[in-house]
Amino acid sequence: MERRNFLRLLGFFGSALLPGCRKEGTHGTLISQLVPPGDGVMPGEAQWRASTCNECPAHCGLLVRLREGRPVKLEGHPDHPLSRGGLCLRGQAGLERRYHPRRVLAPRRKVDGVWRDLTWEQAWDLLADALHQDRQAGRRSVYLAGRTTGSLSGLIAETCRAVGLERLPESELYAHANLRAAHDLLFGRAELPQWQLTSADLLLTLGADVLETFVQPVAFAGALSEARQNPEFAWWHAEPHLSLSGANADRHLGLRPGSEARLLRFLLAGLVARSPWRERLPEDLRGLAVSPDLPGTAAATGLEAQRIEELAEALRQAERPLVLAGGSATAQVGGLETAVLAGLLQRLLDPEGARLSFARGQNYAALGTLNDLRGLAEALAAREIGVILVARCNPVYNSPDAFAFGAALAGAGLRVALVDMEDETSAAADLLLPLAHGLETWGDAEPVAGVLSLFQPLAEPFGEARGEGDMLLELWRRLRPDAPPAARSYRDYLLAAWEQRLVDQQLGDLARQGWVELPASAESAPALRASETAAVLGTAQGPAATATPGLLLTPSLRHFDGRGRPLALLSEIPEPLTTISWGQWLALSEADARNWRLKEQDVAELSLGGLRLALPVKIQPGLAAGVLTVSREALAGLPFAADEHTGELLAWRDIGQVRRVGRERLPILAGSTSQHGRGIIPDPVHQDAHPVATRSELYPEHDHAHYSWALVIDLDRCTGCSACVAACYIENNVPVVGRRDHLKGREMSWLRIEPYYDSGRPQFLPMLCQHCHYAPCEPVCPVYAAYHNPEGLNVQVYQRCVGTRYCSNNCPYKVRRFNWWEHRREAPLDQMLNPDLVARDRGVMEKCTFCIQRIRVARDRAKDKGRLIADGEVVPACAQSCPARAISFGNLRDPEARVSRLIGDLDPHRVFAGLGTEPSVYYLGCRRPA
Amino acid sequence: MSQEPGLNAGPNLAPAERLERTVLAAMSRPSLRYLGALGLCGLLVLMLFAIWGVIIWQGMGIAGINHPVSWGVFITNFVFWVGIAHSGTLISAVLYLFRARFRTSFNRAAEAMTLIALSVAGLFPLIHLGRVWIFYYLLPYPSERLIWPNFRSPLVWDVFAVTTYMLVSAAFFYIGLLPDLAILRRRLQGWRSRVYGWLSLGWSGSLDEWRHYNRVYLFLAAFATPLVASVHSIVSWDFAVSIVPGWHTTIFAPYFVAGAILSGSAMVFTLTIPMRRILGLEAYIQVDHFEALAKILLFTSLIVSYSYICETALAWYHGNLFEMEQFRYRSFGDYWFLYWIMILCNSLLPLTLWRKSWRRNLRWLFILSLLVNVGMWLERFVIIVNSLAREYSPYAWGTYQVSLAELGITLGSFGLFFAMFLLFCKLLPVLSMTEIKERL
Repeated sequence: MERRNFLRLLGFFGSALLPGCRKEGTHGTLISQLVPPGDGVMPGEAQWRASTCNECPAHCGLLVRLREGRPVKLEGHPDHPLSRGGLCLRGQAGLERRYHPRRVLAPRRKVDGVWRDLTWEQAWDLLADALHQDRQAGRRSVYLAGRTTGSLSGLIAETCRAVGLERLPESELYAHANLRAAHDLLFGRAELPQWQLTSADLLLTLGADVLETFVQPVAFAGALSEARQNPEFAWWHAEPHLSLSGANADRHLGLRPGSEARLLRFLLAGLVARSPWRERLPEDLRGLAVSPDLPGTAAATGLEAQRIEELAEALRQAERPLVLAGGSATAQVGGLETAVLAGLLQRLLDPEGARLSFARGQNYAALGTLNDLRGLAEALAAREIGVILVARCNPVYNSPDAFAFGAALAGAGLRVALVDMEDETSAAADLLLPLAHGLETWGDAEPVAGVLSLFQPLAEPFGEARGEGDMLLELWRRLRPDAPPAARSYRDYLLAAWEQRLVDQQLGDLARQGWVELPASAESAPALRASETAAVLGTAQGPAATATPGLLLTPSLRHFDGRGRPLALLSEIPEPLTTISWGQWLALSEADARNWRLKEQDVAELSLGGLRLALPVKIQPGLAAGVLTVSREALAGLPFAADEHTGELLAWRDIGQVRRVGRERLPILAGSTSQHGRGIIPDPVHQDAHPVATRSELYPEHDHAHYSWALVIDLDRCTGCSACVAACYIENNVPVVGRRDHLKGREMSWLRIEPYYDSGRPQFLPMLCQHCHYAPCEPVCPVYAAYHNPEGLNVQVYQRCVGTRYCSNNCPYKVRRFNWWEHRREAPLDQMLNPDLVARDRGVMEKCTFCIQRIRVARDRAKDKGRLIADGEVVPACAQSCPARAISFGNLRDPEARVSRLIGDLDPHRVFAGLGTEPSVYYLGCRRPA
Repeated sequence: MSQEPGLNAGPNLAPAERLERTVLAAMSRPSLRYLGALGLCGLLVLMLFAIWGVIIWQGMGIAGINHPVSWGVFITNFVFWVGIAHSGTLISAVLYLFRARFRTSFNRAAEAMTLIALSVAGLFPLIHLGRVWIFYYLLPYPSERLIWPNFRSPLVWDVFAVTTYMLVSAAFFYIGLLPDLAILRRRLQGWRSRVYGWLSLGWSGSLDEWRHYNRVYLFLAAFATPLVASVHSIVSWDFAVSIVPGWHTTIFAPYFVAGAILSGSAMVFTLTIPMRRILGLEAYIQVDHFEALAKILLFTSLIVSYSYICETALAWYHGNLFEMEQFRYRSFGDYWFLYWIMILCNSLLPLTLWRKSWRRNLRWLFILSLLVNVGMWLERFVIIVNSLAREYSPYAWGTYQVSLAELGITLGSFGLFFAMFLLFCKLLPVLSMTEIKERL
């Protein structure tokens, strides 16, 4: 036989033989190139589907990227009326929840303290029996859910009615009880309004952490970014501590905790002393507007008189001011008064309700308060409750310790938790029903009245998990065979609900774009209920005598009310103010640290009543003396009280003595948070910027025929929220390495937020590979793994890299990341990987690529059409996710590209330009915090 | 075996005969102490390769290096061992050209030390590679992908510099050894005689052979001399070519060469003082010779001290923020202690050698040589780690802690060095017999 024939035959039979081989258990892991696994699935091609984020009550609009039938990335829907393209880090990390290795995949029952898997049939029988018995015994059975909007809310109500369950007010830790109570008093609407930031020219926020967690942080960040384009716009933020919002405000008022009402009273009095505001104040309230007492206010709030005057003047001068109280300002004793005063002030400044309207209210009416939980705990303890079903909330963790909710739960007949992952509440339950992820079921959400946002099943549920709607219908069917629900499935129920509510075109919109905006009710601003308001303000105690030192509990940018704790990515991304990643800490001021002889990373022990709390210390610049803050997720319980009257969480409490009990290392990722005069952020302080080096180059210059990619970051828009960091992690399969490696300084993030505290409050600088035109990393690589490509990208060829790490040493920006280990992902998290990227082996350097995989997709598309990539066609993950739209990307060879125009017009800054590296990342603007 | 009773005994032996007997005595059956020492070193070598295996298997994370400081002890060791390898050539080649007669006492041991230290040094660039299994990407082999190494990278220069140095030193060592190998062929019996005979390439000692031999030796000495300057200059450019504050400076080449000779001479003391005593070579390696070498040590120490002053003064004088912070950090930052030990060992203690009595005090020279080696190791650590720990971006500042694995590998490299030196003492003549005979 000839050699060629032999090889031909070998090839033919070899390939014929191989498909017959199959390793046990590999079924379904490969996607056939010939037979797509599902409708419209093209191997190798991404698909985008609309959905809704379920990670917090804001329900931002999503575009889900699907590869081979698997969701691999969540992005903000660019046209969504609320979030407008941005998505916060929690929302992005929400994808990890679907693939989490610790997901509950089947119904489980606790038998002698051990979880046993059940079939659904067994679970239903168990539940039905228990409900039946309790009804016989005359005990109540209850359904407790987290914030629920849209059709699910209706189904819960109907099911509860049909099967004799009592539907309890919904449970959220951050339910804004005082704010809703204030709006009830002022306007008869126990709701949260919609605040119109975009049109405002003055924003005064008291305590509301609009950039972190307050109601709709992504929408707020976008609106603020737009409002800031108006040079007249000014944002004042008053709070006792320093939050991310406070760090970003134009003016930060660090006032004494509890003195917000005093400040508002002063502003109110100053306003109503003059026209036209005097005339707007109803008769009943005139008596309350005492003459302004500046020295008294300054003393009570701890603010300089001059700054208060400036604020009062700014309020008077502003044409479209907006006053917004919330967060730490209302979560205190006297918080109701603060909320009422803020609402009243806003009404005086904005009598038509242009910037505070209830026409598009936030649908918080079904939400309960902590008082409802207290009532439930008492009923449980008194053994009045039979079956309790808890869905999507964690009352054991998120109710004050004083309620002893966990212990009270033992009084229930059967505790059922509808969960995706185990938490404190499900640990105390008897029966777990596995809840499907938002990407696995049909559904809708109505975060704001009249805005419906769609959930659709984009992937099969893992294991036996089911949607809550389908569970409710099944329960209904089983318990009431005599009067079963009309809908066979939740999908049918939804369709019926939508058909009832939406006209055809709206239904089409919902299906096509993933959301629909119904016409807002033409509701005029509700009338001010003057007498009720007067009654409350008249009897108010005035500013509470708040003792310092005290501890302030803050919601967490990364973990919200603690629900983000299982998501490793959220712990991996450093908190932007402190740059601490894995770990819990107590933030205190330098003065307090000196006072108590504490150093950073000492463990401090606080006595909170009977409880002792030991946490490592982080000294937070910009924090006032006597104010200690701790993030929600840092506490195992909730040693804080609830307001007896309104049910609001009292997030401030005084503390006893503080003492040092040990030392614990914290992964603080910043080596220093000072620029040391290096002019990293362009700033008048560093005007002696280093002269640009003159160049004499031995080697030929780079030639960029068609493209020279560049990234422009507007620091005036950037808030440091770290959404881009999360986007980068997920898009680029950046490994999550955990606490041990973070302590060693081996974080793998390609993009980081650097906070610099040189001017008191931090300025944030997103730092990523600068794609230098004269990149120091390139000449030192012995094997051409780091090289400059014809499109101006500094690329890293992983297959060439031998791992000398010289490139990292020679990088002045220190953005290169070495794979110290083989980073494996625990199944099924490996299914979340973006298949467009090359896997990086251990021993290889990696870094930001400007999302080269996205450039490649756009280039292929452009090539098919015989043109160049158009401006805006490539959007890197970081730019896409940015709620404030601070990042622009484009081709500098195109003079009409957005980046070219920005660079041409605005004289941007490049970091360490004096080194002559010619970076492709440009930084615009610089805000000088005051 | 060829052991003769009363080897060194008898005053009436001819000096040449006595020399040959003395040197051959060193090559006799190993004592228990020798085997113990060799065994200990062997264990250290085993440890080195075991840890290296773990690093290859699990990843570079085993070492303590991290993101700002991604070169640590491994590169410190590399530069240290290359430095040690320096004085071999200096003593044999440069002093040969200058006709300094004391060199004959040290040249064989120093040349062996050079080769051994270079072999040890050569391990470290491999150990430190993230993916050592494709180390050959650094070599200019005819790749199917038509990719050459990047000749702009100093790491590629290193490959050439160190390889050239290794080849030339080996050739120099071997040529110098030829007449001595012939002596071994003559004096030993059995298979050893055959092996040394084979190695001596049929050296017969004819006048013609000597004439060619001297020519080649002189030529190689001349050829090796510029390498003394070039190798460590190029190693220093690994640092100087970068833009890292604390590395990016033009004085690095002479500074590193002087440092290398300082550490190399110190290592010659460390090795030869005990060797002389144990093998009874007092008659051939004399205190006068040590004193001459001590002067070289003092001289290079002065150059190194001058460099310390120079680089600090430059940083202060040109007012570059990054450089100034770097040198402030070196002296007063996280690793200040190491910096001042370095100054003590490399700049202050060698000043004692101004006094003749100290120069001739072998005990002090031995202690000093150990301390200078500690100081020179620390010098490389201080330069590498401090510079990386405080680079341009303050956010990325960090510190580095040596891990147990790195410590183990470092100890293992010393084990390897001493093991190979012990083998050298046993297998090859530790003195250049033919050259000393000329002196007798």
